[in-house]
Amino acid sequence: MPQREHLLKIGVSGVRGVVGEFLTPALACEFAQAFGTYVGRGRVVVGRDTRTSGPSLQHAVACGLLSAGCEVIDVGVLPTPTIQMFAGQSRAKGGIALTASHNPPEYNALKLFNGEGLFFNQYERSELIDLYHQSDFYQASNAEMRKISSDYVTPMQMHIDRVLKHVDVERIRNRRFRIALDGVNGAGSVMSCKFLREHLKADLHAISVDPTKVFPRIAEPRPDTLGDLAALVKSTHADIGFAQDPDGDRLAVCDENGIVLDNDDVLALAVDRALTLKPGNVVVNLTTSSVIDDIAAAHGCRVYRTPVGEANVVETMQAVGAVIGGEGSNGGIIFPAVHLCRDSYLGMAMLLDLMAETGATVSELAGRLPRYYRRLGKVTFGHGMLGSLMQGLEENFPDAATDRSDGLKLIWPEGWIHVRASNTEPLLRIAAEAKSQAKMAELYGSVTKLLAG
Amino acid sequence: MKTEQILRISHVGLRGVVGKGLSASRIIDFASAFATFLSNDGPVVLGRDPRASGIMLREGVVSALMACGRDVIDLGVVSTPVVQHAIQRLDAAGGISIGASHNTAEWNALRFFGPRGTYLSTAEAGELLDIYHLKKFSYSEWDHIGALRYDDTAVDKYLDDLARLYDLPALSKFRVVVDCCNGTSSLLLRRMNERFGCSFILINEKVEGVAFAHEPNTTAATLALQLAPLIKPLQADAGFLFDVDSDRVAIAAEDGVPVSEEIVLPLLADYLLPRGEGKLVITNFSSTALLDEVVARHGGRVVRVPVGRQAAIDALAGYRPEQIALAGEGTGAVMMPQFRFVYDGIASMLTVLSMMKERGEKLSQIVASYPKYTILKGQLPLASHHIPALLADLQKRFADGRINTSDGLRVDWPDKWFHIRVSQTEPVVRVICEQRGENPPALYEFLMDQVRSLG
Repeated sequence: MPQREHLLKIGVSGVRGVVGEFLTPALACEFAQAFGTYVGRGRVVVGRDTRTSGPSLQHAVACGLLSAGCEVIDVGVLPTPTIQMFAGQSRAKGGIALTASHNPPEYNALKLFNGEGLFFNQYERSELIDLYHQSDFYQASNAEMRKISSDYVTPMQMHIDRVLKHVDVERIRNRRFRIALDGVNGAGSVMSCKFLREHLKADLHAISVDPTKVFPRIAEPRPDTLGDLAALVKSTHADIGFAQDPDGDRLAVCDENGIVLDNDDVLALAVDRALTLKPGNVVVNLTTSSVIDDIAAAHGCRVYRTPVGEANVVETMQAVGAVIGGEGSNGGIIFPAVHLCRDSYLGMAMLLDLMAETGATVSELAGRLPRYYRRLGKVTFGHGMLGSLMQGLEENFPDAATDRSDGLKLIWPEGWIHVRASNTEPLLRIAAEAKSQAKMAELYGSVTKLLAG
Repeated sequence: MKTEQILRISHVGLRGVVGKGLSASRIIDFASAFATFLSNDGPVVLGRDPRASGIMLREGVVSALMACGRDVIDLGVVSTPVVQHAIQRLDAAGGISIGASHNTAEWNALRFFGPRGTYLSTAEAGELLDIYHLKKFSYSEWDHIGALRYDDTAVDKYLDDLARLYDLPALSKFRVVVDCCNGTSSLLLRRMNERFGCSFILINEKVEGVAFAHEPNTTAATLALQLAPLIKPLQADAGFLFDVDSDRVAIAAEDGVPVSEEIVLPLLADYLLPRGEGKLVITNFSSTALLDEVVARHGGRVVRVPVGRQAAIDALAGYRPEQIALAGEGTGAVMMPQFRFVYDGIASMLTVLSMMKERGEKLSQIVASYPKYTILKGQLPLASHHIPALLADLQKRFADGRINTSDGLRVDWPDKWFHIRVSQTEPVVRVICEQRGENPPALYEFLMDQVRSLG
């Protein structure tokens, strides 16, 4: 059980918490009132993932939005990227997705989007949280009260159409790929089946695609949580396996041998594909693998690094007009030509297109990528110790180039270390990467030793 | 005036002007308190009147009930008596009616009902209030959250029961004009026309969320506004005016003359007492003495309690249901045992029509057949600290009458009575005085002067 203070988190990224005692209907409602007051009276798109608390909280959010004089467009259970795109498309004032993404089922959260279906920038986010704390919400009178309407069809179709514009659909269809899918009974369950089976004519073998059921595995799609998918790939002799998180923004990929790819490599394949389509800037977070730099360099393109967090990546992507971006370890691929958000559907389509074009298997595609060795870990630290820990690290490695934009990143030609404090828990997240296993082990070992120190 | 907050939280529930006191978070908290308060298992039934803000209140209520682990059965836009009927039919733990009844459109409210659709007693309502104020609600864990479902059969099931109690095909011979005040009664009456061939001619029948055709009360002035002038031209047998959620009713006879709101209770008592086992009629200290006269004719007895719906509800709970013939107020709001002691304007209307059918007389003739009483009602502003002295003084002065002090002061003589009390809702003193016969009671002006002299 996490400590009390982590059961509810209200901050610039919105509100997230354990439902029941912590994330209550009143809290969700008031946050929606603040949101409605902030974006102004108009339409707001509201959808959710498949969590049991979703319907109750969605009613609370609708209550808050109506009370702030907004009109509510209910899109039901849908992936977060779909909700974002529809919010951006439908001339709404904004959108709210009820999803705690990869967090366990007892959690839920409000993800907030502006009228373009994008995260608010840092300035806007702090304005919104101030408004929430001030509790001075616009309160519509009876005569100003607007309605709730629903659209359960258009958003899904719109998202699929947008993704398919960027791949050779006939080429993919002609391959009749055999695909294994683990939908974690999440918001993408129905749409993924429709997308792969009907639109891409795949021979689909799907597990956990019942949105009425609870998550059958740890919700985050990682190599250690995707044993069922790997087994499914092997038993069905699938060409590829896909796994989503509960709100369908993250993608994990399993090769034809049942080996789950490193998420950084999945992003690298997508970056390669995107830069082949159209060269341009690439934006990734500081913890993402150097494989991205190699791929971009091969295309003569530049890589921008940002602090960890989708909103940070998106903000920089907007600023530099990036053609692709993402966060490696999170399995998030952001392709602005579809929408500036993490989108597992775009990821699936790009990989299948790449396979169709090259005729290569997933393992072959991954095998062609420059090889890096990575290790992620975490250590707890005492309150007030963060500064001296970081300072100690930096002093211990005087030969390294440093980046202080999100914690501390120490960079050498042959590898790097990134240490940053978690936003949600009192622990340090450590990432180390190098071109050889031995160097990586050396870097990781020395930093953990120093931190334990 | 713009920043004025209008919110009333009391034993009756939560009422206020939407956007000016009746806020989303208060609605969610109150509904959470209700779900926490309910002790028995089962779903909670929900209905609302057509006010535009009803959707907002509904979303908040649904969210809170589900979060507390309650399944919710939403009946949509229906009359409050239909909600109460469905609670019993579905064996629900309780219900919530969203709607501000006779208040203007900008108001809204939550009203709470226990199992079998009963009103909450004062003790229960007090407990609910305590939970609300304490703000400690029993929210469920993530895997025990309630579900929402819809039931669009509630009106028909309610009408099935009405058809068992009243001979609807026989009553359909009456030509009846109804002013629905853009409220939920139109949904019921239209359906009765379809199903039972009734002949209700409806005006202001469009169910409306913002602009009601007129104030949604059931006063004589509102009755005279649109409905009464139509009765003669349409050659109707009677006219009925409902408030938005059709728990209250006002009546006009076939000659277009409003039937006094005071006579509704005696009229129904006269019809119902010989038909049932119950001999008690519960009413308040402010209603007509004609009731005592009519009830005595049938060997019954009038039990008078302080003014206010809550007092009547508590009084009802003190008797076995079969002892009661009916309960009600001088405002035309009546609860009948065959209707589970629910304020139901539609049932009151059908009872009046049944009476017209049985007697074979015009409504004006029936009304004229009762001894004449003349009642005068007034109100004056008064600082409340003057009241005890006034009442003590009046008590001494009228020591020859029968004194009752359980709600202000009521003094009875064989042919007249008066009642002076402080309003619970406004800073005014109400004076009511009634005299048997045609002459207005001389006492009334004296009492008004007494109150004025203190002001």
